[in-house]
Amino acid sequence: MKHTDGSAHVGRRGFLHGLVGAGLAVPLTVGAGLGTSTALADTGSSPNQDAPTYPFEGEHQQGILTPSQKHASFVAFDVTATTRSELQSLFTVLTDRTRFLTAGGTPVDPGLTAPPTDSGVLGPDVPAENLTITLSVGSSLFDDRFGLAGLKPARLRVMDDFANDALDRAVCDGDLLLHLCADNEDTLIHALRDLMKKTRGSMQVRWRSDGFTSPSRPTGTPRNLLGFKDGTANPPVGDTPSMAGLVWTQGGVGDEPAWVTGGSYHVVRLIRMLVEFWDRVSLHEQENMIGRRRATGAPLTGTAEFDVPAYDLDPTGDVIQLDAHIRLANPRTAAAANQQMLRRPYNYNSGLDSNGNLNMGLIFSCFNQDLDRQFVAVQKRLADEPLVDYISPFGGGYFFALPGVTGATDYFGRALLA
Amino acid sequence: MASSLARRRSLRLISAAVLVLIVGAIVVVAFIAAPGPTKGVAAAGPTVSVSTDTCGSGWSGHDAGQQSFTLQNTTVAGVETYLQDPVSRATYLDVEGLGTTASVDVNLVLNAGDYQFVCLPADADPVLGPVFSLGPDHEGRTLFANATPGIVPVTRNDMIPIAKQYGAWITAQLPALLVDTQLLQSDIVAGNLTAARSDWLTAHLAYEQLGAAYGAFGDLDSAINGMPASGSTALTDPGLTGFHRIEALLYSTAAATDITGPTGQLVASVSDLQTAFASARIDPLDVGLRAHEILENALQFELSGRTDANSGTELATVSANLTGTNAALAPLRPLLATRYPPAALADTDAALSAAETLVTSYRHADGTWTPLSALSQTERERINSAIGNAVELLAPVAAICDIRRES
Repeated sequence: MKHTDGSAHVGRRGFLHGLVGAGLAVPLTVGAGLGTSTALADTGSSPNQDAPTYPFEGEHQQGILTPSQKHASFVAFDVTATTRSELQSLFTVLTDRTRFLTAGGTPVDPGLTAPPTDSGVLGPDVPAENLTITLSVGSSLFDDRFGLAGLKPARLRVMDDFANDALDRAVCDGDLLLHLCADNEDTLIHALRDLMKKTRGSMQVRWRSDGFTSPSRPTGTPRNLLGFKDGTANPPVGDTPSMAGLVWTQGGVGDEPAWVTGGSYHVVRLIRMLVEFWDRVSLHEQENMIGRRRATGAPLTGTAEFDVPAYDLDPTGDVIQLDAHIRLANPRTAAAANQQMLRRPYNYNSGLDSNGNLNMGLIFSCFNQDLDRQFVAVQKRLADEPLVDYISPFGGGYFFALPGVTGATDYFGRALLA
Repeated sequence: MASSLARRRSLRLISAAVLVLIVGAIVVVAFIAAPGPTKGVAAAGPTVSVSTDTCGSGWSGHDAGQQSFTLQNTTVAGVETYLQDPVSRATYLDVEGLGTTASVDVNLVLNAGDYQFVCLPADADPVLGPVFSLGPDHEGRTLFANATPGIVPVTRNDMIPIAKQYGAWITAQLPALLVDTQLLQSDIVAGNLTAARSDWLTAHLAYEQLGAAYGAFGDLDSAINGMPASGSTALTDPGLTGFHRIEALLYSTAAATDITGPTGQLVASVSDLQTAFASARIDPLDVGLRAHEILENALQFELSGRTDANSGTELATVSANLTGTNAALAPLRPLLATRYPPAALADTDAALSAAETLVTSYRHADGTWTPLSALSQTERERINSAIGNAVELLAPVAAICDIRRES
């Protein structure tokens, strides 16, 4: 069911080559923010026939190093299957459907015997577009239901309740997380409906949040809904050693079970932004809280977005406050180097609060080799930063993105369940 | 629950033409298919004539596997087209309502064997086209994993005795329903609200298990089991009668004397139903639809808590709906035996049974039920999953039992 026409898709490797060729002018040591870069062409609202497709099989799952598509769905599920063999069947079905949906093809025709097997949302033949589907597991999957307790990734747990959080546990955590990304929303909806239809008796949605990335305004990293570029200081996804040291978890290292090799800790945080309040704050105060110019994304010590903040020349915080968001998050010290995480954020926009304020914000999403060394360490440093008055984390979870599916007979979680 | 089913049914009946168009559209979408990797709909092959004189001309079988052709109606009226096995009459393709001069591209995957087009003009007898053979493809393959399955179409004549059998089952339930509502009435007259709450549930469940018959009950269903008008509740809607009106009063501060009117009305409506149903008939099309629609409604209205008027007996209703689903499924089984894969039918039975076990685990020894609002998120998910699984498996039953013309 996969496309075999080599010219029709550009694999991750091909994409990265293209990116280097395009000369995205950022030294790898600084970080290109590839995860949210402008590398993908603006496809407008027309069918995205020329978008690269991402091959499903590989050592790692897609949707992690993949350049951020324009739209994403974060959908957490609880497993309602009750036995280990049913769980294994669920993972096999998810593998089969992901393989089909990300490759595209023609749905099976049931003749007179059943309703159509496909929703038809994408037309009679399913295009692959640049859909990625990333499956992660939550800590609750490792409770006593499936006999997996001894195999839990060492750092996986219920999401911490940080100092400034206002968590609604109904929209936190979950046994599984499906992270769907594509350039068109109908592609995501089609994929989600297909995945849910085929797994109705084995899992149910616990919470979901849909997001989008904005185009570059006017250049560089896309902006979040506070108006600031978000993701500038990401580690370079094209640098394999960096990814090996920051994103991919290694079995046998740091008490990790063997099966986790090639996976990654996936943190999702649903963060409401109090945009009306924020819009009533002076630009000067906004920029001091973030540590960057709103217009350009440049650190206050620099001129251009990708200039490195010069904390060594600003030891007392005269230019970038010591409690500015970017300074707390990444102090650019040797000790902080291995605390960097790979961020892949999306904005969300979801109706109204009961007081008439707009409910919108950020779906913070990042991948980590070591949950505690990276995301948790940084989040603790951010406690009580000035920005906390304008944002309110209310949901999300800690998950572990499974290793990739490596062959036709492989399936999600084989190393975990076999 | 009731009003929705009734509405859907009336749409079907009022506009048979619209129904044909809708069914036709579904069939066409379902049949645009091709094996293996393709980008875009495969180009249509030969044009096949759909008419009384030249039915099926233009297509000559060759290799098994993917078949692409364009059906064109060359007559002056609408024509339905089957592609069948000439011996077993197993049908692989049904294009309904192809208008005069209209054409439609068809892609399907067929195993090796003999096939025959059948053209069914709107007001004339079916016309059989020539028989064609499909042989092994260039790789010698005769069977394909993604081949379109064929079944012998279910006809009105097949369904009439089933509808009668199902109608007889409903008829047999009605006397007990009447007794249950009379018992509720006597509780209210005696001022015994505790007994009334218990007997209300018994009577309501007796009615809810008749689910399949909502459409056939017409306006009486609204009188017996209607929902409040939008903007009001079962307690505040002055026009509301029936079970939910009584429920709202029983679970409020109302006195028994406030409820005598509505219970008297209910008994009268159920009595009218018994009289009316004796001369009514179940539409043969309805039995297959009900097999999945009863639980579709349970999912939409009960498991969302929308119908509750404070008794918190949603799960009891779902349990009764499961009983009703099994009752609708029972007379269909002989038809399904040769049309729904045995493993799928076994899965369906297992899903219904698992859902029943799960739902009734919330019934307590004293006959009361855990309200939906008292369930945890995980408990809700499990129930939604069980019912959701069942409706996915029941959906093909309705498709298979869709009435088609005899050929």
